[in-house]
Amino acid sequence: MVSEKTPFGKVGTYLLFAGPTTFAFFTVVILPFLFGVYLTLTNWDGLSATYLFVGLKNYRMVFEDKAFWTSFGLTLKYVAYTVVLTNVIAFTLAYLLTSGIRGQNFLRAGFFVPNLIGGIVLGLIWRFVFSNVLVYVGKRFGWELFLRSWLAHPDKAFWALVIVSVWQSSGYMMVIYIAGLMGIPKDLVEAATIEGATGLQRLRYVILPLLTPFTTVCIFLSLQRGFIVYDLNKALTEGGPYKSTELVAMHVYEKAFLAQQYEIGQSEAFFLFAMIVGVTLAQVYLGKRLEVEQ
Amino acid sequence: MAQRQRYREGIFEALRLSFLYFLLVLYLIPFFLVFVNAFKDRNQIIANPFRLPSAFHLANFIEAFRKMNYPYAFWNSLVITVLSTALIVFFSSMTAYLFARLPWKFNRFMFFLMVASMLIPFQAIMIPLVKIYGSFGLLNNRWTLMYMYLGFGCSFAVFLYHGAIKSIPLELEEAAMIDGCSRFQAFFKIVFPLLKPTTTTVAILDVLWIWNDFLLPSLVLISPRNRTLPLSTYYFYGTYTSEYGLLLASLILSITPVIIFYLFMQRHIIRGILQGSIK
Amino acid sequence: MRKLAFFLIAALVFSAAISVTASAKVNITFLNSKGEIQAQLEEIAALYSEIAKDVTVEVIPCPVGQSPFEKVVSMYASGNAPTIAMVDAGDVKKFQDKALNLTGERWVQDAIPGSLDMATLEDGTVVGFPFAVEGYGLIYNKKVLDKALGKSFDPSSIRTRKDLQALFEELKNAGVAPLVISPLDWSLGAHFFAIAYAAQSPDPKQVDAFLKDLRAGKVDLQQNSIVNGLLDTFDVMRAYNIDKDDPLSGTYDRGSYLLGTGEVAMWFMGNWAWPQLSELDPEGEYGFLPVPISDNPDDYGNSQIPVGATKFLILDREQSSEAEQQAAKDFLNWLVYDAKGQDMLVNKLSIIPAFKNITLEPKDPLAKSILQYVRAGKTLQFVLDLPADHWRMVGAFMQKYLGNAISRDELLDEIENYWKNVK
Repeated sequence: MVSEKTPFGKVGTYLLFAGPTTFAFFTVVILPFLFGVYLTLTNWDGLSATYLFVGLKNYRMVFEDKAFWTSFGLTLKYVAYTVVLTNVIAFTLAYLLTSGIRGQNFLRAGFFVPNLIGGIVLGLIWRFVFSNVLVYVGKRFGWELFLRSWLAHPDKAFWALVIVSVWQSSGYMMVIYIAGLMGIPKDLVEAATIEGATGLQRLRYVILPLLTPFTTVCIFLSLQRGFIVYDLNKALTEGGPYKSTELVAMHVYEKAFLAQQYEIGQSEAFFLFAMIVGVTLAQVYLGKRLEVEQ
Repeated sequence: MAQRQRYREGIFEALRLSFLYFLLVLYLIPFFLVFVNAFKDRNQIIANPFRLPSAFHLANFIEAFRKMNYPYAFWNSLVITVLSTALIVFFSSMTAYLFARLPWKFNRFMFFLMVASMLIPFQAIMIPLVKIYGSFGLLNNRWTLMYMYLGFGCSFAVFLYHGAIKSIPLELEEAAMIDGCSRFQAFFKIVFPLLKPTTTTVAILDVLWIWNDFLLPSLVLISPRNRTLPLSTYYFYGTYTSEYGLLLASLILSITPVIIFYLFMQRHIIRGILQGSIK
Repeated sequence: MRKLAFFLIAALVFSAAISVTASAKVNITFLNSKGEIQAQLEEIAALYSEIAKDVTVEVIPCPVGQSPFEKVVSMYASGNAPTIAMVDAGDVKKFQDKALNLTGERWVQDAIPGSLDMATLEDGTVVGFPFAVEGYGLIYNKKVLDKALGKSFDPSSIRTRKDLQALFEELKNAGVAPLVISPLDWSLGAHFFAIAYAAQSPDPKQVDAFLKDLRAGKVDLQQNSIVNGLLDTFDVMRAYNIDKDDPLSGTYDRGSYLLGTGEVAMWFMGNWAWPQLSELDPEGEYGFLPVPISDNPDDYGNSQIPVGATKFLILDREQSSEAEQQAAKDFLNWLVYDAKGQDMLVNKLSIIPAFKNITLEPKDPLAKSILQYVRAGKTLQFVLDLPADHWRMVGAFMQKYLGNAISRDELLDEIENYWKNVK
């Protein structure tokens, strides 16, 4: 067995354990990514056999694309609401489902199930619910709120998107929070109760701080899902009515393939990626700092 | 006094339970709708989506089964999902082991790169990916697809395994290596078995993802005989409208296997996340 | 060891032999972007594969949510270009360096005049096969109209906006909802508003010039009488729309459902809706009314409906072998000249063919109605050289107008700005 201490040994060990993974990762993710970056510096329209190098011109056009920035702003709003609501609901459910209620396992499984349907299918089912089912309910019971299809108005359509996203993801985050809650040492909680802490105080000073790593992970995952949402957007509202709920990933996709300005769409995609990385890095950094301080 | 306390607690619990069940019903209404409407034909669904079907006849299911080429599609989905998941589990666990035990600068860099890559929107690399692999003639091939799933899925799996491995005490492997095991053997004989909860979690999440995935297979697998289940359900979507009855039936046929799988495995998810979380 | 070697060699020879015989059959692929005929196309492909013994045709569907353009682009990028691809009329020229030159094909001479326009390059080369002729307008349910009016409805009696409005009013008084407007961006943007362009002039060159002027920002839409005339009609339609209290909530399915069950008398849509209507009302009588643009019956646009070749087939010359290209050409010829092929095209796919030589009469009432207008020479251009995202953007503006979110002036401003800034 070759020693691990030598450089040769190190390379050997690396290749043995992580070789295939690294190779696959590079050729499937990194390489296309770099190629994509290169393409944003050209004017390839996705189809022609030839293209020219145009430097940063595409990025300049990104700045000029007002609709891109509008959709980005809308996405920020969407992400803010979705992340907060998902995590609050997920945590509440997790808290309730770790308190020893009867049928806990069944309930836990039940709330996770929405996560099993994805993308386009999810959007179509909910579109059906909003435009047919709810309207039917509204007419039947005379509930004003549902009389008009939610998808026909910009504000309500936006909330429809938020609701469906929260519905889908809360079960997933709930499971993570449950794991976190189960990992909290019981004696700490008992000690706090003995010292006279109320439920709320226990929550605030013992449980939540110990959950910080989980919260960080959940927020990271919900941010990621929120920023790149496309399937749901497309299937539920199609960006409507009249493009008022077009989130940024959808805008980028349509720019590339619908307006057939592929080079600009690709550039916008990378721009988006850079911004997402910025936001999530900041979030994880803050999370780690909070963790350390405990 | 204690009795009143218990009485109050009983009421609280009852309240909590009913709230939870009420919420659960709301959560599951869409499933109910899918199920009920899969037995109706298109116009009945449009007319009144809530009404129960006049009869639970299986016409939609039978026709969907036939049109989807279900046995082939199911087999394709099964093979791709199981093998891809196995690849991801096998290779990612080893990689995470390396990153966790040998904190070289390069390892730390690669780990960071992998986690960061989870943020790349798929649309950003979709066309370059297809162009590169297409030019080598590697498309329309199930093996290519599985290889791509490894590439895409390893980041999250490595992330989960990394945390789990860190929580396993070093002494166990050290003892084994002193006894003459190579690191490789130590990993498989000692560490990997201890990682069962995380492996289960990774397997469940990857199975859910790959089984339902549409976009990547639609780009890579072109001919009908290679289709996976999600690809074959898209058969029922028309340009302007859809064969709703058949569509819903095909959806049920498509996700039932994975729901069954999930129901069997669900209690392991939490244990797995727990193991992966202690850093 | 020797046994193993022998076995391996035998296996190699065997598989080589298999592949040789397998390659004797030419396999061509056909990308279909018309979801509703997928099943029928597959039947035709199977039939043809039996008839033409050495060719197999495989039909590939275009997934929902993907435009045909995007699907074809990704197939080319992946090295798996389809031998035949069904693309939208406006996209044909974009594929010119990948599409086979079809100018010498027999059916070029038999194509209905004008149908090859979107597939003909500057130098006269034809690169596309017009697959489907479609038309749109106000579809009316004759039974509903007859019952409400108490007499047999005569479509030629509606020649101006006033006539249409009077008809709507009569229907309303008889207790019948006059019409439903589907608030779909493609319906409003690519079809309804496009009438404003097509009706500018019977001469396609003038229409082209108009579009060019729009791009150059030289057109003041507020002053254009045809545009305003069309929107005036739209306002009349809006007032009698069954969904007028919640105009943006409707779906395509709702439209076909209301018309097919007789709950409304008319629906603005095209003949592609026949499969949905026939499910509800297979014996029904339906026809098209033009959307009037003025009160003068002699104005161009009042008695014409937009008809045109909307889907084209392009043949791949970049990634297909000679044998495959020839097989594809043969398949197309079969559709146009073989009796069975014609029967499949017209009756199985419910398509109005773009070729003079096909005399088979379509069986569905909408196609019949369109053919009437075509034979009388009363058509507007359906397919125009519009930017790729026109339907989405202008459709969105029209939706805002339909939903009362913007005024007429604002609508026209937005459209003008769109044209000025489009690529």
